[in-house]
Amino acid sequence: MSLLPALLLAAQAVPELPPAVPAPTVAGHRERTRGDPLEGFNRDMFSVHQAVDKAVLRPAAMGYRTVVPKPVRAGLRHFFSNLGEPIVFLNDLLQLRPGRALRTFGRFTINSTLGVGGLIDVAKGEGLPHRANGFGGTFAYYGVKPGPYIFVPLIGPTTLRDLIGGQGDNALLPVAVGTPFDTWQYQVTQGVTVGLDTRAEVDAELRALFQGAVDPYATLRSVYLQNRASEIATLKARGRGIAAPDDIQLDELDDPGAQPAAPEPEKKP
Amino acid sequence: MRPILAFTLFGAAIPALAQAQAPDAARAPVQALSDGLIGIMQGGQKMGFAGRSAAIAPIIDRSFDLAMMTRVAVGPAWTGLSAADQAALVAAFRKMTIAEYAGNFDSFGGQKFTIDPNVEVRGADRLVRTSLVQPGEAPVAIAYRLRSGANGWRIVDVFYRNAISQLATRRADFSRVMANGGARALIGHLNDLAAKAAA
Repeated sequence: MSLLPALLLAAQAVPELPPAVPAPTVAGHRERTRGDPLEGFNRDMFSVHQAVDKAVLRPAAMGYRTVVPKPVRAGLRHFFSNLGEPIVFLNDLLQLRPGRALRTFGRFTINSTLGVGGLIDVAKGEGLPHRANGFGGTFAYYGVKPGPYIFVPLIGPTTLRDLIGGQGDNALLPVAVGTPFDTWQYQVTQGVTVGLDTRAEVDAELRALFQGAVDPYATLRSVYLQNRASEIATLKARGRGIAAPDDIQLDELDDPGAQPAAPEPEKKP
Repeated sequence: MRPILAFTLFGAAIPALAQAQAPDAARAPVQALSDGLIGIMQGGQKMGFAGRSAAIAPIIDRSFDLAMMTRVAVGPAWTGLSAADQAALVAAFRKMTIAEYAGNFDSFGGQKFTIDPNVEVRGADRLVRTSLVQPGEAPVAIAYRLRSGANGWRIVDVFYRNAISQLATRRADFSRVMANGGARALIGHLNDLAAKAAA
């Protein structure tokens, strides 16, 4: 799972959320948002997540940040991230990118040895930063569409494609390696550590996102889907050029005031 | 033929290309905004929220096409609104925009904006890429989309990390409140956001 989605995933807690807005209706019919056919269900799940976050997840994450020293948190973050590099490597290969796969392999090797089992990210300083990849990205690379947007409590915003891809990412080590990755003790330790760390790391960003939102559910959905679309576009561009604000967004800039029928409110201060 | 002459002939033959080679006009609002933001960051707590708002407001008015941004963010429902509601929405959107900049850019820690000299063409629009450079942190990519109108080039959208369009996000954010409560409800929410940013 890549970083920013993961960031946005783990974490929603804003004490002063505006009250939930009832579903929009147009002429008595519920209006469906493109890409979110499960909106009613998703909004309920979002509310559940927010309640759990406020009561348990955020306080626990803030406690984790206060109690556990920064170098230890960074070490654990690097350790679990390093264990994910074989998944990145496999998906680099599946996307027919041997050069990228080789760099991922080099990164994993360096950090597993010189980086003391992955605790220290030595490779980053050697020009081999972490580059997220996973089965969701591979599905997208081969043309699988995202499918419906889904909000899952404790997991966060995702799409059907990426939810299935994420399950594949999570299953790889337990299936391919077995012990200790298939034990519940490892699964719980990894899940809790990564979950709390991610939640703590994104707190400021998430708070800012929700504080500027009229409808936090819709804002998170929009930001998540835009970011994911950009990641997929970058994957498909295969390293050609910098990621560009997508041309799809041209459509978003249709100016209703530009229609001749509409009065032009061009009163400049 | 010397290369310089070939270049000149080539340039003269393609007016569109020549136009694209004069990017300074589209860069100016981005430069003004970036300078303004550094200014209020440096002013910080001494200026206070009111001082930072007063300083950044005229720069925002000159850099952004706030009326157009409001129309796009509200979406197709805009055309069905009364002129009074339209004006009130633009005013509320402006107030929120100013409050958010004044609220967020409230302290200085050696940050600077670098502006890419290469202005990119996006249809009739232009794209200016900038980077917020902060000591000890990874730079944050912020790109601006500009559109040319009666008042010259104005910013119409801001892209965070080259991925997230502020206008697309706002449109998603506003749509439910507009559908349920109409313009008055949205104006109320925008004023609340402005008040929250000031707090």
